[in-house]
Amino acid sequence: MNSEEYIKHRFEGSGKEGPIRCIFFCEFHHTAGPIISCQVPENYISKELFDSISVYIITKAELQRSTITVTLTDYKILGFPVRIDDNKYARNAYHFNLCFVCDSDARTVHYEPVVMKLSDYLIAMEVESCFLSRGKILDKLPPILREVLEELNTKGECALTEGPTATHLKVCQIRSDPTPVYDHQVPVFIKELPPQQWDLTTQQVTPYIDGFNHVARIALLSDVENNLVKACVQNLVYYCVVALVPLFQYGNIYCTTPKLKLLAQDAELQTKCLEYVARSQRQPPTLRDVFRFFASMTRGTTIRDLCIRHNPVNLRINERKLVQFGVLEGIIRRIQKYPVLLNAEADSIDLQKSLTGGASLDEICCSTGVSSLHLEDQLEKDHNVVLLCK
Amino acid sequence: MEVNPLSIILVKSDSKGDRLLFRYPFQTQENNEPSSTKRKNPYTLPIVEDLLQSLSQSSSNMNKGNLAGFTDEVLSSLFAVKAELSNRKFELKVNDVRFVGHPTLLPLRKKKEQPQQDDSGIMLINIVFALQALASHSVVKCYHDLSKRMGIALKHEEKRCGYISDQTQTMTSAHDDGYTSPGSAFQIILEKCTLAMNIKKMYDDLCSTGLVSIRINKWIPLSFCLPQKVHQWHLRGKIVEPEDIDKCLKALRPYHSLLLLYPAQHMNDFTSLDGSPSLIRLLSNYSPLKNLQTLAADAELTLAHVFELTAHLVYWAKATIIFPICSTNKYVISPTAPIHLNSPLVEKFNETFSGLNLARVISDFSLPTSLGQRCNPLCHPSQQSQLVQTIIWMLQHHLLLQLHTYIQYLPTENGLHKDYKKKQLKSPSPRNSVILSNQPSASEHSRAESESGASTISETPEFTLKNFNSEHLSFISTDDDKQDYQEELLLDFSDEERSSVFKIPATNNPEDLQLFAKLCRKEYFQGNHHIEEIMYLENLRRSQLLQLLDKFRDVLITYETEDPAIAMFSCSST
Repeated sequence: MNSEEYIKHRFEGSGKEGPIRCIFFCEFHHTAGPIISCQVPENYISKELFDSISVYIITKAELQRSTITVTLTDYKILGFPVRIDDNKYARNAYHFNLCFVCDSDARTVHYEPVVMKLSDYLIAMEVESCFLSRGKILDKLPPILREVLEELNTKGECALTEGPTATHLKVCQIRSDPTPVYDHQVPVFIKELPPQQWDLTTQQVTPYIDGFNHVARIALLSDVENNLVKACVQNLVYYCVVALVPLFQYGNIYCTTPKLKLLAQDAELQTKCLEYVARSQRQPPTLRDVFRFFASMTRGTTIRDLCIRHNPVNLRINERKLVQFGVLEGIIRRIQKYPVLLNAEADSIDLQKSLTGGASLDEICCSTGVSSLHLEDQLEKDHNVVLLCK
Repeated sequence: MEVNPLSIILVKSDSKGDRLLFRYPFQTQENNEPSSTKRKNPYTLPIVEDLLQSLSQSSSNMNKGNLAGFTDEVLSSLFAVKAELSNRKFELKVNDVRFVGHPTLLPLRKKKEQPQQDDSGIMLINIVFALQALASHSVVKCYHDLSKRMGIALKHEEKRCGYISDQTQTMTSAHDDGYTSPGSAFQIILEKCTLAMNIKKMYDDLCSTGLVSIRINKWIPLSFCLPQKVHQWHLRGKIVEPEDIDKCLKALRPYHSLLLLYPAQHMNDFTSLDGSPSLIRLLSNYSPLKNLQTLAADAELTLAHVFELTAHLVYWAKATIIFPICSTNKYVISPTAPIHLNSPLVEKFNETFSGLNLARVISDFSLPTSLGQRCNPLCHPSQQSQLVQTIIWMLQHHLLLQLHTYIQYLPTENGLHKDYKKKQLKSPSPRNSVILSNQPSASEHSRAESESGASTISETPEFTLKNFNSEHLSFISTDDDKQDYQEELLLDFSDEERSSVFKIPATNNPEDLQLFAKLCRKEYFQGNHHIEEIMYLENLRRSQLLQLLDKFRDVLITYETEDPAIAMFSCSST
């Protein structure tokens, strides 16, 4: 483990997902006040501790049906206080809360929907058959809670079929929204497409995702509307099936990142890399050649130049796959060119608008349909335009 | 911004019960638009209430960056914690709002006039920050720290002059006077109570700059920096976490240099607040061309102390860390540099350097360019100094990135020898072990330790190293000894490695081979050290090292990239 990862682990202890340590059910007893009626495993939360935090568990009316998380020194308690109004109860209402307990440094946001759904399930059972209030809690509830605890911790999902209604619980990971997909980006599979019934667009689009076709081209080939392809690719990115890399061209420039040293150190990465970049699986290239190829990528050197210098065919390297692997693993990074028009005078009006430095050459080429070679030549002749490589 | 507080709430709890004394902001613009705009369609069928499908309307407690949906009574009952939970971190999340505070128990000062009456003794004060639930753990930690420090200061002031008794008294009576409109009591409190003014100032500071500087009871200064916010002014849109800064500071070396983000004259207000004479001494000797070691010598401070001061300045977003500017430094445009025609930086640059265009100037760095390349001997000294000034400006704005040359030792076609790899994982990198000390012996020592641990390769590693540490005069001898010393020099290398190294003609030169073996043994060629670092640690000249790299280019592969330790400010990919 390198130092960077180590620090990440140490500091982001909060971000990690921990198991559920305990589930308890508590209710407002008409004479005794808030009590824990049942918990799995037994006596995980002491009575004293519960008393000190009961205000956050059996709450005031305004906080009913809110997800409330209390972080204590050792535990994090997540609950969803609810109330059923009915004349049959001693105080005309029945308050209860089903709480999950996790480690104090674990993330619990992804359990919130589960707690809410489980509470709703219990409400339904109570309304149907007075499941909770008839005093039989200790017989029936602990097995259910135990099942939920075990299955959620091991499988991440759980089906409850007790009583007249059934419910399915599933812990969903919360991920950040994927960034928008652009025409000039190239989707690459980073793992097998899970075998399931994908929607029609996905079924139509995925055969054309080969790691070299860009989004606009995929749209053309698959005869699917461009925005639908983007939405589909975005969806696949969200599920980490596909990653986006910049379009490969022999005129592209790449540069190395500090991660290159991992290729020399990490044996696993080496095998993966050699397998990926080989022209034929029978004769993989040597690591030193691959490393040298990566190491010679600097600003100002195009892949074309490198191919002339190194002759990848002789080295048994597939240069397109090499670049793809490097970008996916973060060993190398694409250098984009951003043209900036310094003083607007002549030139075509259309093109001028895009020369602000905000759009890369790739984007401009893709939107105008001009080949990058042609455009670059044209821009380099123009003294009012500077190309910023970054 | 998810690091801004939604609200700051002051709650007390004593023998007379709990009460929300003050919260800021309290002027909630009561626009009940949602209810009025959501016109009900008269043709819809009333939905029969279905308990199973009773999806709670997505409950949010935020409204346009303000806390909403809680009455003062609810808040006070939530924050007036039981005694068991006091004097420790308090964290509560309700829907999408996270509350953090540090409930502080403080013994009330007995009033002299009425000693027999005032026996309540203890009051609990809780200053709670309401944040968005999305706020990261480190942000929560910082706010907890602020609340804790506030609590400590208040406790002290209560002990010294009964400040809290006074303030809570005034606030309670303002509430009890019974104002009809909800905000008016808070308005009165804000006018009367210095504590309320402090809270307002704190809120405003946190939302604007992230630097809090208040004086509690006009007596105790409290200054606080929210790093996630304060670095926004020079790194727009990028959240700098305290651990990023820690990481950067851990990688600090004596050859690095400090780059102030403000002109040194503008630092006066900061130094007066800090009051450390050594900081003033450091700033008066400051130059971006000096490395930290020189700076320490010039300011007559210890290097460790200079590191601490640097850490302080970086944390408070007053400075950043660079490699000292010299003619061999290669710069390129940073991948995150926000340069486009509408960028405010373009204008700012034009103001500082009239007649120059930022895009034009920076385009010179599209290819890796060193200062030496840019200076031509014919150009005027003033032009040269302007060039340095523009580079400093661009470094201050994180537009440039410095490239360093790293070296990777790959002796065989398949990379490093297997045992070597294992050993490498086990042994601590010398970079980690030689952080503060610059004697090379430390790394040699660690190397020796790792050697004896993995003794499969060589029979007498200690012996070799001892030979090595002593002078190598004995090796420079006649030709028939050549084979011997070669063998001896690379004794701890594997056979395969040795044979591939000996194919290189330069191994016939004892000095070259000796230097190569020495540097290799110290693991400088594992991509963890750039040329400048090796030069610094081994006291070598650049030409010596470059010659060596050229001679051994078959097994030493070089590549250029940024120094990950100090690139965090200008590169998002780290």
